[in-house]
Amino acid sequence: MPLPPLDIEKIKKEVIDSQLWRSVFRGGVWKDTPRDRAGHIIGNVWLHLHPVKVRPRALKWAYTWGMGGISFALYLLLTLTGVALMFYYRPTIGLAYQDIKDLEFAVTLGMFLRNAHRWAAQAMVVAVIAHMVRVFLTGAYKKPREFNWGIGVLLLTLTLFLSFTGYLLPWDQLAIWAVTVGTNMAGATPVLGNEGPLGSLVGMRINNDVRFTLLGGTMVGENTLLRFYVMHCVAVPLVVGILLILHFWRIRKDSFSAAPYEANEEKVDVWPHLVKREYIGAAGTTLFIMIWSILQNAPLEAIANPNVTTNPSKAPWYFVGLQELLVYFDPWIAGVVMPGLIIVGLIAIPYIDTNPKGIGSYAWKERPFANTLFMLGVVMWFALIYIGYALRGPNYAWYWPWESWFMVKPAPPPTWSVFGPKPDGAYSMLLGIPLMGAITAAWMLLPKLIQKELDGKKTMGAFLGLVALVGAGGMAMGKMGATEVAFLLFFLGASFYYGFVLPQRHIRTLDWPRYSVTMVLVISTMSVLLKMCARLTFNIKYVLTIPSISMNF
Amino acid sequence: MSETNPNPAPEPAKVPAAAAPVAAPAAAPKPAVKPDMSRGDFLWAGWGMLAAFFAAAGAAGARFMFPNVIYEPSQKFNAGAASTYDLGVSTKWLNEQRVWIVRTPSGFYAMWARCTHLGCTPNWWGDQNRFKCPCHGSNYTLDGDVIAGPAPMPLWRTKVTLAPTGDLIVDKAILENKPGKRENAPYFADYASA
Repeated sequence: MPLPPLDIEKIKKEVIDSQLWRSVFRGGVWKDTPRDRAGHIIGNVWLHLHPVKVRPRALKWAYTWGMGGISFALYLLLTLTGVALMFYYRPTIGLAYQDIKDLEFAVTLGMFLRNAHRWAAQAMVVAVIAHMVRVFLTGAYKKPREFNWGIGVLLLTLTLFLSFTGYLLPWDQLAIWAVTVGTNMAGATPVLGNEGPLGSLVGMRINNDVRFTLLGGTMVGENTLLRFYVMHCVAVPLVVGILLILHFWRIRKDSFSAAPYEANEEKVDVWPHLVKREYIGAAGTTLFIMIWSILQNAPLEAIANPNVTTNPSKAPWYFVGLQELLVYFDPWIAGVVMPGLIIVGLIAIPYIDTNPKGIGSYAWKERPFANTLFMLGVVMWFALIYIGYALRGPNYAWYWPWESWFMVKPAPPPTWSVFGPKPDGAYSMLLGIPLMGAITAAWMLLPKLIQKELDGKKTMGAFLGLVALVGAGGMAMGKMGATEVAFLLFFLGASFYYGFVLPQRHIRTLDWPRYSVTMVLVISTMSVLLKMCARLTFNIKYVLTIPSISMNF
Repeated sequence: MSETNPNPAPEPAKVPAAAAPVAAPAAAPKPAVKPDMSRGDFLWAGWGMLAAFFAAAGAAGARFMFPNVIYEPSQKFNAGAASTYDLGVSTKWLNEQRVWIVRTPSGFYAMWARCTHLGCTPNWWGDQNRFKCPCHGSNYTLDGDVIAGPAPMPLWRTKVTLAPTGDLIVDKAILENKPGKRENAPYFADYASA
């Protein structure tokens, strides 16, 4: 019996018209009309967070860098790979490391999934930072988007916190020492930590402070691993998910782009133009992570030993900048106050920056101060990462890239403190506290009090001349070498330019509250440069030390 | 009238009055009883209780995160016969107990191998006579005093005693790092060299 000829079109029509198909996919025949396109967005639960139409600039890669979408794609990839890894991982000290080894060598695709999870996490840190830089440079955080920028800052913080909680889980040497250091920083929190300033005064002990709650004990142990596991796999992703919904909702409500409308600007259909790009971005991201995961395996160090630290011991790259900062400042400053200031400062930016210009475009000239200072912060952060990652060797000593780590470095020279009670400080606190107070007050007030704009070149020239003069004096007295003078010129010059000349030129007309907050952030940033200079040039440990209350600056 | 009659109006007298509302429907003056609580106050009390509930729930949740029992190893251990130690720093117990045993001509002290900066384990470099921390580069002398790097205070010495058996008993739960105190018992065990 000959088969009847196959009529594909007829079968297709019958399938589509069937009750089963119609119950799942609603709508009539797709004719690609504007109504169809709108219906595709509105009628789909996953797509309906989009508007039906967007401004064409939201589609331009050169404008958006696609980094927000790529961050979200990575978040989804991390959820998928993370859930897969959970099937083979048990968060106990006796089993965790073995389970990771099993994932690497005994589970089909285990190594690949772990690699993908690790590399996607690192890529997400990069993508979120790049997204923030893009949003900043295009002024996209300005009114009415201040709140959403704040949500974004929190999401960046949580991205880093997810990484931090994640790397305890393999229970290797990196895991235990990174978390030991991280939680000891929490133990140095003022008031709430047992080793922080004022902590012991309010009765903080090793078994009742904030560090104790993080660890679930007095040392990194079984409870810690379980706590970090729960935070990493459930608690933090849940919070991130809620904030993401809020973040996306606000983007939609604020119609994607802040730029002033161009003449005859017509919105384009989200389907297919935007959705297509999102799919391409997600596919590209997935492909990139897959290739990376095939080519390179995620690191795994020796099993955790709570008694012996590897030499040198370094945090994952995105925290090495913080690790380097901890060389110069006490833990409560570098580990608590400064990260706190960075987060609060970033959230505060849209409320401080009242410059109405430069919204929705890369307009450096229209907002020179905001862009310069923000990018200075980003560059400093990555410079610290570079120093910690590339220039630190055994015993965390300074090794230039061309120096072998097998070379034995001479012991670092003894450090000293400038002001403080004897024998800790070289000079009296009674001199130091008023002097430092006066310098800080002058630095805070002078840029605004000098009404007339100073000539930048002349001011810088005069300042550098003064520094050079001091340096020459120091060299003549045999107290400084050429390196020290060069360091002085660089660090003091940079601090003076970014911390005084630029604020004097650009923000002296701000109202006092905004001006003061900006200057606090600027001076805090410059204090990093100045403290690095003091340590690297003169071996100064503290500029002011008050050991009785654990206050050291 | 009422002054001279302390008795309240008899009960039956009220009944007809209450049973005849038709006579004076709305004209009856409202009783001049001041309510104990205004509507606004009632609402505020309600919100206050809700806030108190959330505050209490938050506090309870925070308290929940502090374990009452923790299972951690004992901080006390037997470091073996004192006579087996040579002069100088012994790293024999580092891997197991995180302690250096230091023998001086007159006795022993034990140091907890925990950097006072952020808690990494420093390494002993005999050629330079220093402990150096691999995490942020703190340097300590043989006495445990900081000479370089970010550490804020000297290394902790632990309680160390000489048992009648000739063994050193180290207790890491009892610590001291102040010069003047740390050189004396129980942070130093006298043991004259033979």
